[in-house]
Amino acid sequence: MRLLSFLLLVILPVMTNAQEYTLSGRVIDNSSNETLIGVNLIFPDLSTGVVTNDYGYYSIKLPPGKHRVILTYIGYANAEEEVNISENMQQNFQLSEASESLDEVVITSDIEALNIKKPEMSVNRLSIGTIKKIPVVFGEVDVVRSLLLLPGVSNAGEGSSGFNVRGGAVDQNLILLDEATIYNSSHLFGLFSVFNPDAIKDLKLYKGGIPAEYGGRVSSVLDIYQRDGNSREFKMQGGIGAISSRLLAEGPIVKDKGSFLVGARSSYAHLFLKLTDNDNSAYFYDLNTKLSYELDESNKLLLSGYFGRDVFNISQNFENTYGNAVLNLRWNHVFSDNIFTNLSAIYSDYYYGLNLNFVGFNWDSGIRNLNLKYDFNHYISEDFALKYGIHNTYYKFNPGEIAPIDESSGINYFKLNDRYALENALYISAEHKFSEKLSAEYGARLSNFFRLGQDDFNTYVNDEPVAYNPRNGVYSEADILESRNVSRGKSLESFTNLEPRLAIAYNFAEDQSLKVSYNRMAQYLHLISNTSSPTPLDVWTPSGPYIKPQLLDQYAIGYFRNFENGDYSLEVESFYKDIRNRIDYIDGANLIANNAIERVVLNGEARAYGLELLLRKNEGRFTGWLAYTLSRSEQRTPGRNSQESGINNGNWYKTNFDKPHDLTITASYDLNENWDLNANFIYQTGLATTFPTAQYEYEGVNIPVYGVRNEDRLPSYHRLDLSATYYPKKNRGRKLQSSWNFGIYNAYNRQNAYSISFRENMDTGRNEAVRLTLFGIIPSVTYNFKF
Amino acid sequence: MRICKSFLIIFIVLGFISCEEVVDIDLENSEPRLVVEASILWIKGTNGNRQEIRLSTTSPFYEEEIQPVTNASIIITSEDGDSYVFIHEQDGIYTNEEFQPVLDLEYELELVHDNQVYSATESFESVAGIDYIEQLNGGGFAGDEIELKAFYTDPAEEENYYLFKFTDENVFLELYEDEFTNGNQIFGYFSNEDIEQGDVVGIQMQGISREYYDYLFILRSQIGTNQGGPFETMPAVVKGNIINETNLDNFPLGYFRLSEVDSRTYTVE
Repeated sequence: MRLLSFLLLVILPVMTNAQEYTLSGRVIDNSSNETLIGVNLIFPDLSTGVVTNDYGYYSIKLPPGKHRVILTYIGYANAEEEVNISENMQQNFQLSEASESLDEVVITSDIEALNIKKPEMSVNRLSIGTIKKIPVVFGEVDVVRSLLLLPGVSNAGEGSSGFNVRGGAVDQNLILLDEATIYNSSHLFGLFSVFNPDAIKDLKLYKGGIPAEYGGRVSSVLDIYQRDGNSREFKMQGGIGAISSRLLAEGPIVKDKGSFLVGARSSYAHLFLKLTDNDNSAYFYDLNTKLSYELDESNKLLLSGYFGRDVFNISQNFENTYGNAVLNLRWNHVFSDNIFTNLSAIYSDYYYGLNLNFVGFNWDSGIRNLNLKYDFNHYISEDFALKYGIHNTYYKFNPGEIAPIDESSGINYFKLNDRYALENALYISAEHKFSEKLSAEYGARLSNFFRLGQDDFNTYVNDEPVAYNPRNGVYSEADILESRNVSRGKSLESFTNLEPRLAIAYNFAEDQSLKVSYNRMAQYLHLISNTSSPTPLDVWTPSGPYIKPQLLDQYAIGYFRNFENGDYSLEVESFYKDIRNRIDYIDGANLIANNAIERVVLNGEARAYGLELLLRKNEGRFTGWLAYTLSRSEQRTPGRNSQESGINNGNWYKTNFDKPHDLTITASYDLNENWDLNANFIYQTGLATTFPTAQYEYEGVNIPVYGVRNEDRLPSYHRLDLSATYYPKKNRGRKLQSSWNFGIYNAYNRQNAYSISFRENMDTGRNEAVRLTLFGIIPSVTYNFKF
Repeated sequence: MRICKSFLIIFIVLGFISCEEVVDIDLENSEPRLVVEASILWIKGTNGNRQEIRLSTTSPFYEEEIQPVTNASIIITSEDGDSYVFIHEQDGIYTNEEFQPVLDLEYELELVHDNQVYSATESFESVAGIDYIEQLNGGGFAGDEIELKAFYTDPAEEENYYLFKFTDENVFLELYEDEFTNGNQIFGYFSNEDIEQGDVVGIQMQGISREYYDYLFILRSQIGTNQGGPFETMPAVVKGNIINETNLDNFPLGYFRLSEVDSRTYTVE
């Protein structure tokens, strides 16, 4: 209530402005009629502006009269138009993709200044055009791999799944595809991500200063929007690569009103078969679909779907299938010119299945959720806009079901109890321009989580599911006191958190600004995984009586500057974050098919801090960036009382993805009409690991004794990637547009350590250290086409 | 555990362009610690009178020699009050020739070394025994290995934990519990690309306690040959059940346990 009255106080003065009218509408791509997200509309004479929202919609209050408006958007030619305001009016603008044959409108005013003034910070945006140029392993364009080139984003080594943002864990990233939660972003255990680049319109990564409209994960938000499809004409595009091929079709259902998009991608099933000389296969596929239909100027329906699976089959003994499926129906509705609303009904599903023939069982697990969202963008005045909304999510967790494959199997049927939860959130967020120099985005999210009843809910002595033996300092699973069935209509435990968010930009000098942000976030779901990088088998578990929600406080400060009229830009940010209730696992925790996971986890804490630097060259033939991150990421789990030792003796230890130094240089050179050249260079501190400090023999086996957790390092990681894209001359003037991409990953064949392992040599009986290198030099060729 | 291992294999199959190389890594050396291998084993069909306990200390990781401990005094006392003194024979091996094994009876180990007193208590665990052994060619994970299955029948009325020890040129430890197999006939599984026709494989099935199972579970996770990769489990100090009564912090490694054993040898056909 206090917050509300505060907001009212702030709103009231700005609402009593002089005579103004509303200009609203959409900005669309001129060839496909597709809406464009994040287009800057600048009114240079009024020194004001607006940015299109996630559905390409904008709304702004303007005084009567004729005004110039300039539209700018990455990858598109700038446009200048004139609007004559005498009443509330709607106007759609069209932009054309930038190409060398078109004369671009020359802009003299300061375009990028708007971004400098916006309170938004710690946000990285990559256009799909940029992503497609970045050299990648096997020549497969990849969204997540591209993100790794940005400051503050890293992963736990080559071939590890997911990504880590500002020292946060993989499960702390909220990954949204058309607003639906994606639970596992990786194909082939992390070699590729699940996003088909041809089907993606826009992506934004929030590393900090996360607006109140997002919640449920503490580290970052990766917000990805699929394309709607071309509603002007039928188009196809695709590519043939070393690992996978893609094909995408789109076109109008009703010209200029409705469109469809269907994209498919599949890897080659027999890739690994030949190389291993037996019955193995490993492949993945994706299907992206979208239907959009504009009912009238103020109503639009969008239906989007994604279905992806990875399948491994090893000599008929082992079959493993996993993947995400999402379906989302949205209704965009505009109330009275300045209130844009979106209502979404979203279904998300993550499935993991395993068939182990040689042991004789099938295993199924997964998570499902049904999500209802109603979001409002309320453009109150040119200096003040509100976003508010309500989100409800119902979760069903299937931690696992084991079934014998036939009668002769020695395995009994066993079902781990399903878990249920309900997550609600209410948020309000204001974007407020106090003066020419000072603007802020502030708001709060009130989140609330109910862990609902389940079968076989366990109780323990002193409510402690983990027992501790003070004599030898060993944690173990406590005995279950009582196991009872609790109805799903009852709540086992509930949590409520108020999550304030604040970001302020102070534009203290021409082309320079200082920004600060603070955000608190709550995360109610935990990915149960005690390996360095999550595996697809890892199960999600809800907070409840024994596992508390993770709570984050993040502070960031940044300095932003544009040089040479925005040709160059510099971003320097420093952050500190602190996460309470980060779970950790007791030694020897068995996470697989564990029906009472609370018996192997303890609540600990995590922290991370760092400095990020991003220097970009945005314009010209030569573009690119230099990103450097200096950071630390640690966690600890002290004992629950003074008698207990905690995990790792209760001391702070570095996380598996802690990388103090991380340097990336990405460069792109537009040689001529036919050739684009690209290069990346990456240097990173080796990952934290633990080496043995002694050994002994026990039961005839040689056992290593390890030192302090994660105090050692793998050798530093570096590599250079090169690629060249060739656009044949015959492309000109014909419908079929083709291109060839030639790439070399790890050009100087650096033998980067994926791991250093220690083993007893079976022949000599001596202990030795073994370095495993995953990718040496890898050349690739990809053919892409569009017509 | 098995699922985990399978994962590893897929990952190796996937990393078809990966390359392994032995490298020199300098390691720090920690202070030597006492290691107690006090496994009292009663092989079915024997009297179980002769028992051995092995003492050593940890040594630098790359060193080949084991450092035996020769000057300790060891005594095991049963719940019934019988005491068995273990005398040092050689190379850190202490023996007693008159041990009387009794299933389910509690025994206490007391050990003195370097003026420090160590102790542990355990009871004698029984085991069901192996029903038969089955050989399958063209088995294993990749489908081209010889695999052996040692079938046994799990008693339905209790929680059971098993250690299978397969010995060819090397020793392989497999652990089983009966959470998903209670009361069934099931098998201990061994396959190895190196076994050939004519090889003799030693198979031991041992009954163990839940605590010892947990201990071995952690211990085994430390032997894995994939430390450092994404599927690495966190290294841990593997603490056993033997307590240093003089100085808790200077805890020994190893375990005191008593197991009934069904021991077979199998000649690969």
